[in-house]
Amino acid sequence: MFAFVLTDTPALPLHTAGKYVAGAYVVLFAIVLIYVAIMAVRLSRIERELGDLLKRSERSAEAQSPPPERESTLA
Amino acid sequence: MYGRGLRTLSIATVAVMAIALGLVFFYAPLEAEQGFLQKIFYVHVPLAIVSLCGFVAGGLMAIQHLRTRDPRWDMRSYVTIHMSLIFAVATLITGSIWAKGSWGHWWVWSEPTLVSFLIVFLLYATYQPLRFAIEDPELQSRYASVFAIVAGAFVPLNFLAVRLSTEYLHPRVLGSSSNLPAKMQLTFLVSLLGIALLYLTLCKYELTAKHTRAQLRALRRTLVGEGDPSYRRSRSAVPSL
Repeated sequence: MFAFVLTDTPALPLHTAGKYVAGAYVVLFAIVLIYVAIMAVRLSRIERELGDLLKRSERSAEAQSPPPERESTLA
Repeated sequence: MYGRGLRTLSIATVAVMAIALGLVFFYAPLEAEQGFLQKIFYVHVPLAIVSLCGFVAGGLMAIQHLRTRDPRWDMRSYVTIHMSLIFAVATLITGSIWAKGSWGHWWVWSEPTLVSFLIVFLLYATYQPLRFAIEDPELQSRYASVFAIVAGAFVPLNFLAVRLSTEYLHPRVLGSSSNLPAKMQLTFLVSLLGIALLYLTLCKYELTAKHTRAQLRALRRTLVGEGDPSYRRSRSAVPSL
């Protein structure tokens, strides 16, 4: 299959049309890349907010739990 | 909920896109008139088809929203239209590059396909400002759905009008006038599948992100209460779940 594809491959004529074709495909990849970058920013924001909520819930759990019992020092 | 199957879809998208690129550059023959420049066709036309289908799908989801009053349909409609707009921008840019290489001009105003696509794009460009202009979330989602339905109905009508017009400068791909050789047709169909999968994957990512954010907000409300200033929802074009 691969050999068949390669033998049937037209040469890539990267003359004047090459820059336009490259430009068009770069546009598509740039848009996908920008989208991935935006998603990364959003993900880090969600992670930060989740961390904040976790800290808050830990603090409130500590405040609600009774203080540890003291060991008697009297002999 | 929305994240289910996201990994499989992402892998399928990458695989099909890679195959499509391989076919475009190493399998499809060079076109007799345009030569190498015609390779833009395999990215430009699928982008246009997928974005127009996305606009129509957004309208159908908006119908479902108005029927059921389920905010999830509004969110789906919003995300679909949002993603279609991004794809439409890519269509316009790749189309302009192709026009410059082929006709020597970045834009040709006498060409009905270009201008009609621009009209559809500009119409949908008003969707976000419309949503943002309405503060009440309930009213916002209802008006946005009405807009999505009307605009979604305009898309096929616009497509038909262009088809029926007599000036045929733009190459036809689908329909009886299509005369693509088998190799080009296969490459085109794989490219179309790749772009459609990319669209679906990005929509799913967006929906998952929005849903996670809504869940986080609900969690904050439970843990912190409504008095927390960071909880308060600011005015937004994004639907509330």
